Amino acid sequence: MSAALDLEGLTRVHASGSAPALDGFTLDVPAGSCVAVLGPSGSGKSTVLRLTAGLDEPTAGSVRLDGRDLAGVPPERRGMAMVFQRPLLFPHLSVRDNVAFADRVRGVPRRRARERAEEYLGLVQLAGYGDRPARALSGGQEQRVALARALAAEPRVLLLDEPFSALDTALRAEMHDLLADLRLRLDPTVLLVTHDPAEADALADAVAVLDGGRLQQAGPLGELYARPASLAVSRLLGGRTEVPGTVRDGVHTSALGPLALPGPVPDGPGVLVVRPEAVRVTAPGDPAADVTGTVVRVRRRGLRALVVVQVPGPVGTAVEAELAAGEELPAGRPVGLVLPVGARTVVPPAGPASAPDPARSAISHG
Amino acid sequence: MALGTRLGRAALAVWLLLPLVPLVLWAAADRWTAPAVLPQAWGTAGLRDAVDSGAGTASLRSTVLGLVVAALATPLGAMAGRALAGSGVPAGGAVLAALLSPLVLPPFAVALGLDVLLLRLRVPASVGVVLLLTVAALPYTTVLMRTAYAAHDPGFEEEARTLGATARRAVLAVQLPMLAPALAGAAFLAFLVGWSDYVVTLLVGGGQLVTLPLLVASAASSVGNEAQVAVLSLGSVLPPLALLVAVGLLGRRR
Amino acid sequence: MTPRRRAVLLVLPALVPVAAVVGAALVSAVLLSLGLTPLVGRPELSLDAWRAAAGDLGTATRLSLGIAAASTVLAAAVGLALALAATAAVRRSRLLGALAALTIPVPHLVGAAAMGLLLADTGVLARWLGVSPDAWPSLVGGPWWVAVVAEYAWKESAFVALVVGGVLASRARSYGETAALLGAGRWARFRFVTLPLAAPALGGASAVTFVYTLGSYEVAALLGRPYPEPLPVMAVRLAGSIDLAVRPQAAAVAVTTAVLALAVVLLALRALRRLSAWH
Repeated sequence: MSAALDLEGLTRVHASGSAPALDGFTLDVPAGSCVAVLGPSGSGKSTVLRLTAGLDEPTAGSVRLDGRDLAGVPPERRGMAMVFQRPLLFPHLSVRDNVAFADRVRGVPRRRARERAEEYLGLVQLAGYGDRPARALSGGQEQRVALARALAAEPRVLLLDEPFSALDTALRAEMHDLLADLRLRLDPTVLLVTHDPAEADALADAVAVLDGGRLQQAGPLGELYARPASLAVSRLLGGRTEVPGTVRDGVHTSALGPLALPGPVPDGPGVLVVRPEAVRVTAPGDPAADVTGTVVRVRRRGLRALVVVQVPGPVGTAVEAELAAGEELPAGRPVGLVLPVGARTVVPPAGPASAPDPARSAISHG
Repeated sequence: MALGTRLGRAALAVWLLLPLVPLVLWAAADRWTAPAVLPQAWGTAGLRDAVDSGAGTASLRSTVLGLVVAALATPLGAMAGRALAGSGVPAGGAVLAALLSPLVLPPFAVALGLDVLLLRLRVPASVGVVLLLTVAALPYTTVLMRTAYAAHDPGFEEEARTLGATARRAVLAVQLPMLAPALAGAAFLAFLVGWSDYVVTLLVGGGQLVTLPLLVASAASSVGNEAQVAVLSLGSVLPPLALLVAVGLLGRRR
Repeated sequence: MTPRRRAVLLVLPALVPVAAVVGAALVSAVLLSLGLTPLVGRPELSLDAWRAAAGDLGTATRLSLGIAAASTVLAAAVGLALALAATAAVRRSRLLGALAALTIPVPHLVGAAAMGLLLADTGVLARWLGVSPDAWPSLVGGPWWVAVVAEYAWKESAFVALVVGGVLASRARSYGETAALLGAGRWARFRFVTLPLAAPALGGASAVTFVYTLGSYEVAALLGRPYPEPLPVMAVRLAGSIDLAVRPQAAAVAVTTAVLALAVVLLALRALRRLSAWH
């Protein structure tokens, strides 16, 4: 029942003359996989879902389901169900009839549709709630019903538009477990949109990062963490260390000094980004230290602390490092930093346009 | 509660109720000569007189007129309201102003102006009355439905579409049920316009279309038949009142 | 179909009849009043109808404006009081709100009949107060149009109460509580919170009341006196006259009333815009 979704060069210009909300977006969602589109608000990620669902027409590009072009196919014939951030339960229907909606509009007899609705309510652990009016539910329950309603439509692709953003942390984790469980049982193809890297991490097999309407990078999240293709990706995933410099013969030279890079990178200006988890803090005299500096700020993050280390130089460069669990360092302490070669990534400097030059974005994969 | 507040509220209740008391008393009075404070004889003489004057057929006519006006003005107003709730209508402000213009222009002036034209075009009187009253009701239905559509979240229909409902089905199964209270309110107001109109029916109907308000006016303009006036008046208040209560209860249940 | 085209197609079925009826009525009335479309005789541009009606037109205009102004002031004051009572934070009166709502579907014509039964010299009020018909002031058909104004004020006060009450119910309580926490007493809350919040709705409802009263026929016809007449009564009398030659005069009165109503609405809109610009 689940199908492969193939988005090709999707472009959407809302009003002629304005900047495109989505610009040449290409993404493969293999059958049975869950792919997350990750981006800040206004990045065009909801537009991806609306174009996929057929709620809006793309200005250019195509949506293909198992190879079949869906251009001109109305939303109801696409076999995609969508769960929005707001549950949008029909207020004039009971919980059960909400879940039975897709079957009813398909012409399934009422009794059969209601029986099936009960099954799906059971799947989202809401068996016995069917008789309640849709309004008599809590936020988490509403979103579960919305999920059950979408699943009961037996969609070939399930579209999720920030479905859990309005829920509190505990409920969100519960919903993540539920969705993971449902994926095991029903094996749906899922396209998820979120602004939260943790949510993408919890749910998706692969992630596509969107910024300013353009695809920045796609791949497994681990790869994106390790090798961000642009400053936007690095920032969205929580990277803060950004050291401008120049690359020559596989060496990045900056306020931190010359640092060898793991793979071939074309010569020219480039920004060095390093994830704080990869940076190791040692004594200032440690011969293994790549740079030395002073702790200027400590940010607490649960058991672990994040330190900002100021490296002396003409422009004052800061590097962030995560300490081991339980380790403490006061501000003002001089330290040495080890930047493992494999953790050094160079991305193109932020140009006048926020989007990276596609030709240059390849360098990070070196 | 302070005595002043209580007195003030009592005065307001009296203000709202007092004019209706004579209607109730007179409607049940067979004989009530001054200076008696209450009728000397109770009975149904007023009702009998009212029925004799043709109240039965007149209220039937008023009902049909109200229903026809509601049946025309509600869907038209809903469609216009839906369009005006969005930004798609060119010069939307001007269009809305045009649709509201019947509220501003005195109905008698519109009726007088159009009457001559309708006579020349040989439009049947009843058609003319329906046309004018529908136009008079459209501002109410349009404004009400525009507000309702502006508050309505189109996400519900989009959700229905992704669940497999056609555009038509999404309107029928989702949009209209959700907007049912507003539609009922709009239809009620439109019905009221047709049911209670006097001056348009008088001027354009040319005396052929005798509705309940025409009977009330003709009875009230002569003297000595207070009981009949009271019965006819109550007869034109109670049906819409019952409708209002029914619509209100329906709205509360939802 | 583009959204724009769809919106236009949705609005047209309502717009076309309204524009046709209103436009045709106004044009037809203007042409008739200028002698260009007489029912009998030759079309000829003339101001005869306007000249013939001029004297009474002035009296009628003043009378109509007076009745409308008195009715509106009364309706606004009582309506505001009703709205305050129906939405008060402490002991709000559901009863008054319900009574006001129930008054809405009462047609003005019925209101006029009821006022007649109540206020006439042999009316119920005179009987209850024990005043003989000779000593009772002529409220119905008298020189001060008391019954007419009372009927409009009665019906429209309920309308004002519903409109203003709707605004106050949704907004005033939380603002009022905030103001109370900031130390505002009852009067200060009314003066600085409730009244400014209610002002746009009160102004709008008053404007609607004024325009409605200006153009309404049946109440003044039933409860007024034969002379002088307000504009609608004068127009309907002329239009119903056996003498077809006075029809253009009726049209002149109708045009005058329409222009007057339009002017009032434009003035009210300007004032309301200024009022809402304060907030």
